[in-house]
Amino acid sequence: MNLQTIVNSLISDTVTTSLPLFKPELVLCVTIVVLLVTRLFPGLNKIPPFAIALLGGIVALWASLPAGGIADWAKIERQELFTGMLTYDAVTAFIRVFLMAFAVLFIVLARLTGLADREDGQDFYCLAFGSIIGMCIMASANHLLTLFLGVEMASVPSYVLSGVVKGRRRSSEAALKYAVYGAGTAGVMLYGVSLLAGILGSAHLPTMAQQLVEFDIAGKLAEGDQYMQVLVLALGGLMLGVGLAFKLSAVPFHFWCPDVFEGASAEVDGFLSVASKAAALALLVRVGIGFGHVPGETPESVAAAARPTATVQLAAAAADVPPAVRLIADEAPVTDGDAETADAAADTGPLSPVRSFFVQVVGIVSVITCTFGNLAAYGQKNIKRMLAYSTIAHAGYMMMPVAAAVALVGRDQAAAGDAVSSMLLYAAFYLFMNLGAFAIIAFLRNSMQSEQIDDYAGLIGRSPLVALCLTGILVSLVGIPPMAGFIGKFRIFQSLVEAGGPLMMFMLVAAGLNTAISLVYYLRVCKTVCIDSPPDTSRPVALGFFASAYVLALSLPVLAFGILPNSIAQWAQAATAGLFG
Amino acid sequence: MHHFMLANLLTEPVGVAHYMAVGAVLFVCGVLCMALKRNALGVLMGIELVLNGANLNFIAFGSRFLRGEGQGLGLDGPLMALFVIVLAAAEAAVALAIVLNFYNNYDSVDIDRADQLQG
Amino acid sequence: MGDGIYWPTFFFLLFSALACGFALAVVFSRNVVRMAFYLVMSLASTAGLFFLAGEDFVGAMQLMIYVGGTLVLLIFGVMLTSQKQFVEMKTPAGQWIVGLVTGCALVALLWMAAFETPQWQPISRAEAEAVAVQPTATPIGVALTNGRVDQLDQPDETLRGGMSSYLLPFEIVSVHLLVVLIGAAYLARAKRRSPSAAAPG
Repeated sequence: MNLQTIVNSLISDTVTTSLPLFKPELVLCVTIVVLLVTRLFPGLNKIPPFAIALLGGIVALWASLPAGGIADWAKIERQELFTGMLTYDAVTAFIRVFLMAFAVLFIVLARLTGLADREDGQDFYCLAFGSIIGMCIMASANHLLTLFLGVEMASVPSYVLSGVVKGRRRSSEAALKYAVYGAGTAGVMLYGVSLLAGILGSAHLPTMAQQLVEFDIAGKLAEGDQYMQVLVLALGGLMLGVGLAFKLSAVPFHFWCPDVFEGASAEVDGFLSVASKAAALALLVRVGIGFGHVPGETPESVAAAARPTATVQLAAAAADVPPAVRLIADEAPVTDGDAETADAAADTGPLSPVRSFFVQVVGIVSVITCTFGNLAAYGQKNIKRMLAYSTIAHAGYMMMPVAAAVALVGRDQAAAGDAVSSMLLYAAFYLFMNLGAFAIIAFLRNSMQSEQIDDYAGLIGRSPLVALCLTGILVSLVGIPPMAGFIGKFRIFQSLVEAGGPLMMFMLVAAGLNTAISLVYYLRVCKTVCIDSPPDTSRPVALGFFASAYVLALSLPVLAFGILPNSIAQWAQAATAGLFG
Repeated sequence: MHHFMLANLLTEPVGVAHYMAVGAVLFVCGVLCMALKRNALGVLMGIELVLNGANLNFIAFGSRFLRGEGQGLGLDGPLMALFVIVLAAAEAAVALAIVLNFYNNYDSVDIDRADQLQG
Repeated sequence: MGDGIYWPTFFFLLFSALACGFALAVVFSRNVVRMAFYLVMSLASTAGLFFLAGEDFVGAMQLMIYVGGTLVLLIFGVMLTSQKQFVEMKTPAGQWIVGLVTGCALVALLWMAAFETPQWQPISRAEAEAVAVQPTATPIGVALTNGRVDQLDQPDETLRGGMSSYLLPFEIVSVHLLVVLIGAAYLARAKRRSPSAAAPG
C-alpha cells in the first residue's frame, strides 16, 4: 500500500462519494468555524452571530433535502460512507432533515427568548451545532467507533448547554448531574462495546452481524459448555444498552431527566427532549437492525438456509443455563407460537436469538419506562418537571415500534419498515409538540418569571393565543383524535398489532392504559390554564409579535398534521423503504 | 480456568484473557468509584478507570502478540483505544469546567449538596 | 531458552499488579488528593501493559495525553476545589458492602467469561516468540488517512470487508475538540456584561 493507492482511494471514495452525501454536517462544521473567526476581526464582529447561525442552519437544511424532492427518498439505496464508518440510507436522510429543521427552529427560539445574546451567542450556537453534528453521526452510525463518537459528540456539548446560564445555582447543578451521569454511562457503554468487538472480531456493524451468523448462538447454547461466550455477548449488549438507555432516558437510567430538565432552561429542555431523543432512537434502530439483520438478507433466503432444529435445541438448552442466557432462549416458544398463527415463514434465521433478546429487553424496558413516566408525572408542580416525566413516557412509546420492527425483520421486512416509519412519524410530530410546549414555557417564564403550573391559572384571560396553543399541544401529547399525537400513537399501535405475539400484545395493552393514565395530568394543566380563575397577584402576559408567530408556527402543524397527516406520513414511509437493502 | 491462570506461570506467555482480567478489575473499580464517591472529582476519576478498562480490552483484542496473526480486531483495537484517549480528554475538560462552575456557585463539590432539584 | 522465565509474562504480572493495586487504592482511599495520585500510578502502569502488548504508540499516547494531560487537569481541579472539609469523604458502610459484593460478583463473572472463551487463551511460547516485530505508528497513521495495511494479513474475507479506515473520525473529532474547547472556555470565563432584567431561567 503506497502513497499513490492511498491518494487514489481518497479521491475515488472520500471526495467523490462520501463527502457529497455528508454535506449538511460539513455546512454545520463550516458555520462553527465562521462563527468563531468573525469574532476575531474588528470589521466582521459587527455581524450578529444569530444571522450567521441562521444562515448556516438554513443552508444545512437545504443541503439535507434530497435533490429531486421527497419522492427521491424511496429510491435511495443503502450505501456505506467513509469506508464503512457511516451508513447512508433514507432513514439517515430523514433524521438529518429532522435535525437540521430542529436546529433552525432552535436557534430562532434561543434568539427570541434572549438565551443566546449578542455577547455569548457564538458559544451557544457553536455548542448547539456541535451537538447536532454528533446526533447526525449517531443516526448514521455503522461502526462501533462512530456509535461511541456520535454519542460523545452529542452529549458533551449538551452538558454545557444545560448549564448555559452560569450564575444560577440550579443550572450549574443540572449541568453537573448531567455530565457526571452521562460520562459514567458512556464509560459503561464503551466497556460493552469493547466486549462485543472482542468476541466478534470486528467493529463494523454489518460485519459483526455476519460474524454473529457464524457464531451460531443456538449451537453454542446447545453444547452447554460454551454458554460463557454467549454470556459475554449478552453482557456486552446490555452494557451497550446502558448508554442508549441514558440517552433515551429509559428506566432505570432516567433519574437524571427530571433534575436536569428542571435546572436547565426551557429552550435547552426542548433541545434535549426532541433532538437528543430522536437521535438516540435512530441509534437504537441502527443497533437493533445492525446486530439483528445482515444487509441484503431476506426472510426467504434465510428460510432456505435455516436449520429447523435450532429452536428446539435452544429450548432444550434453556433448562441448564444461567438466567441471563435463559433470557435469550426464552423467546423460542414465542417464535414457535408465531409459526402456528402466521402462515408466513417464522423467524428462524441464525440471528433470531439476537433479535429476540433485543426485542425482549427493549419491549420490557419500554413498557416500564412508559408506565413510570406517566405515574411520576402526577403531582408535579413545576411544568418543566412534569414535561420531563412526560418525555420519559414518550421515550417509552417511541421505543415500542423499534422493538416491533426488529421482531418483524426476520418475517416481513416491509412490515418492519412500516414499524420504523411509525417511529419516525411520531418523532416528527413530537418535534412540533415538545418544542412548542417548551417554547411557550420559555416565553411565559420571560414575562411571568415563573414556571409553576399554579401560576398559569387563568392564562386564557391574559393571553388567549398562548393558552389555546398550549392546550392544543397538551391534548396532542395525550393523543386525542383531532391532533397529530393521535395519528402518531395510532400508527405505533398498528405496528405492534402487525408484529403480533404475546409480548407485543402486552406492550399494546400497556401503551393503551398509559394513554388513559396520562389523560389526567395533561388535562389538569389544561384545566388550570383554561378554567381556573387567575390568582390576584397575576402579572400581565405580553408576548411580542415574533414570539406569538413562533408559537403559532409550531402549534398549527400539530393540528394540521392531525387532520391531514398524509404528506408527512408518506415521507416517513418513503424513508424506510430501503432500510434493509 | 485454573489451568490457564496458574499453570506455567512465568514460563509461558499471557493471553487476551489475562489482559481482560486486568481490564475487568479496572472497570469494576471505576464503577465502584462512581457509585460510592460523593465527591464529583472522585466520580470523574472512576470514569477514567472505566475508560481505561475498556481501552485495555481494545489493546488486548488488537494485539498480535497475544493472539497470533490474522486473528482478533487487528488495527481496530489500537485505533479505537487512541480515539477513546482523545475523547476522554475532551470529556474531562468539560466535566472539570462544569465542576468548577458548580464550585463557584456552591463552594462545594459534594454531589449530595446538589439537592436543590429533588422534589 | 525453553523453560526459563519468560520475561514479558513477568513484566505483565508486575504491571498488572500495580494497575489493579492502585485502582483498588483509588476506590478505598478517602482523600481526594491521594486518589488522584493513585489514579496516575494506575494509568501509568496500564501504559506499561500497552507496551507489553506490542502497542507502543498507544502506550506512549496513554502516557502523554492521559497521564500527562487529562490527569494533570483532574489534579488541577482537585487543587482548585480542595477545601479542608471536602477533601475527606466518608461513604456509609451499608453502601460499601452492597458495592463490594456486586463488584466482586461482576469481576468473577468477567474473569470466568474471559478464561472460558477459547479464542482468548494464550498462544504457546514458541508461537509468541515467532511473532515478528512490526512498526506500529505507521499502520496507525495510514489508517487515519485512508487505508488499512492489516487487510493484507487478514485471511477471512468477511473480516477483511469490515476493516474501515479512520479518516472520518479523525477529522470529525477535531470539530468535537473545537466545540468542547468553546464550551469549557464559555463556562470558565466571567459573563461579559451584567445580566439583563429578563435573565433566562
